[in-house]
This record gives sequence, structure tokens and C-alpha cells, in this order.
Amino acid sequence: MAELSPIERVTKFWNREPLDKPPFFSGMGMIMLPAIKKLGYKFPTIHRNAEKMAMAAIESAKMFNIDAVSVPFDMCMESEALGNEISLYEDSEDILYPTIPYKKWEELDQVEITQDDIDNIMDKYPMNLLPEAIKIIKKEAPEYPVAAWQLGPFTQCGQTIELDKVLKGVFKQKERVETILDQFSDMIINIGNALLDAGADYITLREPGVAADLLSPKTFKELIQPRLTRILAGWKPPKVLHICGSTDPLVDMMWQCCIDSGAQAVSFDIKNNLLESRKKLGKDAIILGNFDVFKLPCAEETTVEEAIEAIKTNIDGQVDAVWPGCDLWPDIKEDNFRAIEKTVREYKA
Amino acid sequence: MATKEELLEILKDGVINYKEEEVKEASQTALDDGHTAIEMIMDGLAAGMEVVGDLYEKQEYFVPEVLMCADALYAGLEILRPHVPKQEGGSVSQVVIGSIQGDVHDIGKNLVKMMFDVAGWEVYDLGRDVPLEKFVEEQLRTDAQVVAMSAMMTTTMLGMRKVIKMIKEKNPNVAIMLGGAPVTKDVANLFGADGYAESAGNAVAEGIKMISRLREYEKEKGE
Repeated sequence: MAELSPIERVTKFWNREPLDKPPFFSGMGMIMLPAIKKLGYKFPTIHRNAEKMAMAAIESAKMFNIDAVSVPFDMCMESEALGNEISLYEDSEDILYPTIPYKKWEELDQVEITQDDIDNIMDKYPMNLLPEAIKIIKKEAPEYPVAAWQLGPFTQCGQTIELDKVLKGVFKQKERVETILDQFSDMIINIGNALLDAGADYITLREPGVAADLLSPKTFKELIQPRLTRILAGWKPPKVLHICGSTDPLVDMMWQCCIDSGAQAVSFDIKNNLLESRKKLGKDAIILGNFDVFKLPCAEETTVEEAIEAIKTNIDGQVDAVWPGCDLWPDIKEDNFRAIEKTVREYKA
Repeated sequence: MATKEELLEILKDGVINYKEEEVKEASQTALDDGHTAIEMIMDGLAAGMEVVGDLYEKQEYFVPEVLMCADALYAGLEILRPHVPKQEGGSVSQVVIGSIQGDVHDIGKNLVKMMFDVAGWEVYDLGRDVPLEKFVEEQLRTDAQVVAMSAMMTTTMLGMRKVIKMIKEKNPNVAIMLGGAPVTKDVANLFGADGYAESAGNAVAEGIKMISRLREYEKEKGE
């Protein structure tokens, strides 16, 4: 088969068509420090500048032969658009992602998300940077698919008021929590559609705040599953559902969300028992993730040989494509990462 | 008038079933009736939390329930703790605790802190988003035997490695405990930590084990 471009390869992967070689891509952050340095950018400056965001993402994909360009990189944009101040750690020499040090709403009763927030969130800074960044990528690197992502409503709720209040609210103020989750769900549908309209080629819904080491599977089923399904159903495909943390008890429900919403794939992090998940979901489910985003590409002690072996284990674990189980840590060891990419392309190809 | 056993049972049950008001009331009654505060804490509140730990391990309780139990426990602790006599002559174990810079999540850290509080440790809570150097400064200032750090995100846990290196360079005997969602046993080993708490429930047990190891080390050094 003639060599495919990254966008052709990824599109065919979603369509389950034959490929020239296995894809290597992500639906979450995949930004690399060597690429940022090559462009002369500082890490804190790439989060709130559409051009830098786009160029850093493109350069990361090109430099390390990744099949997709992914934006954004941080999880604070929506919360900032709703009026919270963020820390960019501009003076730090370390890699620190933006955070929300203090949240303007201290209690669930104070949360006030207006219809204007829901309908016009993309007009508010910094959300308005995202479509701009996607358009730059489409213009500068049309051979790459653009990956966009959104946090799920529960995790987003925890980005807007303190997570412990939300967790306790599940029991103490259930109706209030449900109302807020519904408002966030509407907002997330709108944001996802705006990103897809701007040119994103696929989208991942990430809901790490509901892993089974935080919430019970019963609460997931009652409170979370219907909303994740509704959000995914509100977007055009391809679309992926990802949950970090303990997911073994949630696997069936996650896949049911995909079936009910027309989503293509589920994605897990390293805490998932991949072989068991495959047994539960069968060969028709597209399973992604379970790739250690720190230990394999970044840890000083991990040798090239160990990284290769771990990727082989990931492939033997029956993932449909090698896809990092979370945001990739930017400070990669270049030799490890290149060996990982080579292994993905060649092992069992 | 409730007996001591009845009050202990109310405190224990109040923590397990997150009944803050009943815990407050029973704590005050216990003091008014002349019962020993430390007994009420250890055999009432802490005994309840032990059951909560079991329920969490068995996945009958999850984090929201544990947080509500913690609220009930603290409601009692606030009333009883001021009435626990200070140890005379003996040194109280000390821990410096915080969420690492870049991480504003503190649920896990607060649960671990609670365990140390119950066990009677002197806790220096640095809060969250704590600059790396602050852990080192606070350990040196307080001479704490344990430094406990948590990170909820993969993107922040790397700071822990730097803190461990800085602390061990200045004081190799300090025991370091790590915890948080992305922290696995492999990561703790890789970073050179002495203990690893995948849940708040085993954090104090790990802390006590580490202190024992430290004392053994000191003893061996002296021989």
C-alpha cells in the first residue's frame, strides 16, 4: 500500500479500513519540550497564545512523527472563561501546567452559570483562542488530523468549585449537583461542536474525576453515564471516551456510553487491566490507551530497550492503536520516544 | 446519662455514618461527664474511621463518603483535642505535609493529614501548590521526621523527585512519603521515597513503619 499521510491514516483507522502502517497518535495533550525549545518558546507562553499553541503542537507532531496534532494543553480554559483567575507559573523554570489557585464560587449554592455562559462561552477569553489555533493548524499542517478534547461535566465542575464540595454534594445536595452537571454538559456540547466546526477531526471526552477510586460505580451509572452519553451524542464522530484512574469496574458502562452515543472508542490509563477489558468488551470495541506517559518516554532510568518492551506489552495487551493513557509528559527522552514510535510502526505491523 | 461505652459507640457510629451533629453532641457530653478525651478520640472517633477504612478498601465506601466521615471526625476532634494533655518529656512525632507545586488538589492530602491528626502527630500543613523549596525549608525548621507529599496529576508528580533529592542531601534520615492518584509503587521507588500511600487509609501505618525504620537506623549507627 502506498504511504498514507497522517490524516489519511487516522481517518482510515476510525473507519476501520486497511492501513499502510499502525497509527501512533493521541486525543490528549502531546506537547514535547524539544519542539517548544526549537521554536524558541517558553512553556508558560504556549497556553494563552493561539499561534504559539498551534505551532508548538505542529512541531511536536512533526519532530517525533506523531500522527495527530493535539490542542489545547491545559485544563483551565473553561474555568478561566467563567471568571476564575489562573496561575501560569511564568517565573518557574519547571514544567508547570496552568492551575486555578482559588475559585470564585466556594459553595455549590453560589454557582451561577448563565444561559449566556452556555451559549456564548466560545466568545469569552481564552476559549476564543481555540478555534483560532485549530484553524492555524489546518492551514500550516493540512496533512495532519487535529485532535481536540473536552473535560467531562463532573471534572469540569471540580475545576470551577472545589472538588471535595462536589463529591460531598453528590450525597448532600444531589439535585443541585445534577443541575450544575446538566449546565456543564450543555456547555461542553457547545464547545465541542465549536472545535469540530473550526476543523478538529476527532474529539475526546475526558472525565478523570469519576474514576472508580473516587466515585462508586453506582454513582457513575446514575449520575455520570447519562450525561457522558448525552455529550458524546451531541458531537459528530469520530469521538472517544477517556477516563484516567481506576476504570476496571466502569469498562462496561463506558462502552455502553459509546454504543448509545455513536462514539468510536474507549481510552484508559495504566491502571486498567487491558486484557480483562478486552475480554469484557469483545473484539469489536476500539480500545486505546494504557501506555505509561511518564515511565516509558521520560523516566531517566528507563532504557530504550525497556521502553520498547513496554510498548510491545501494550500492543500485546490488544490495544487497537498505541495512544498515550493521558497527557504525555513534555520532557521526553528523545531516544526513548523515537524507539517507541519505531516499535509502534514495526511490531506486529 | 449515657455510659462511657454508649458514648464511644455514638462517636464511632457517628463517624461511620457521617452524623456530624451527633458526634459534636457526644464529644461535649463525654467531656462534661469527665471521660478522658484521648480515649474518646482513639476508641470512638478513630475506631469509627478504622471501619470507614475497611469499608473503603471493600469498595462499599468511596471518596465522597470518606470525606463526609472525615467531616464528622473533625467535628469531634475539634472539641476533644484541646483536652488531651501534652506529653511530658516524650517527643511528639512530626510531619510536614502538602500538595506539590502545580497541583491545587488537596483531597488526598487532607485525608492523610486527618490520619496523622488522629494519631496525635504534630502536623505542619503547607497547603497546596507548595513551591518545592518550601518542603525543604519547613523540614529543616521543624526537624520533622516525615515529609509527606501528594500530587493528583501526572503533570505535577515530577516535582516530588526534586524535593526528595533536596531533602535527602540535607538530611538523609528524613522519611519521605508519597501519595496521590498517579503515584504508583514503581514511581515511589524510582523517586527514592521511603513510603508510598495509594490511599489515605494506609498512610499512617506507612508513617509509623518509616519511623521504626528510622529508629533502627539510628540505633545501628550508634553501635
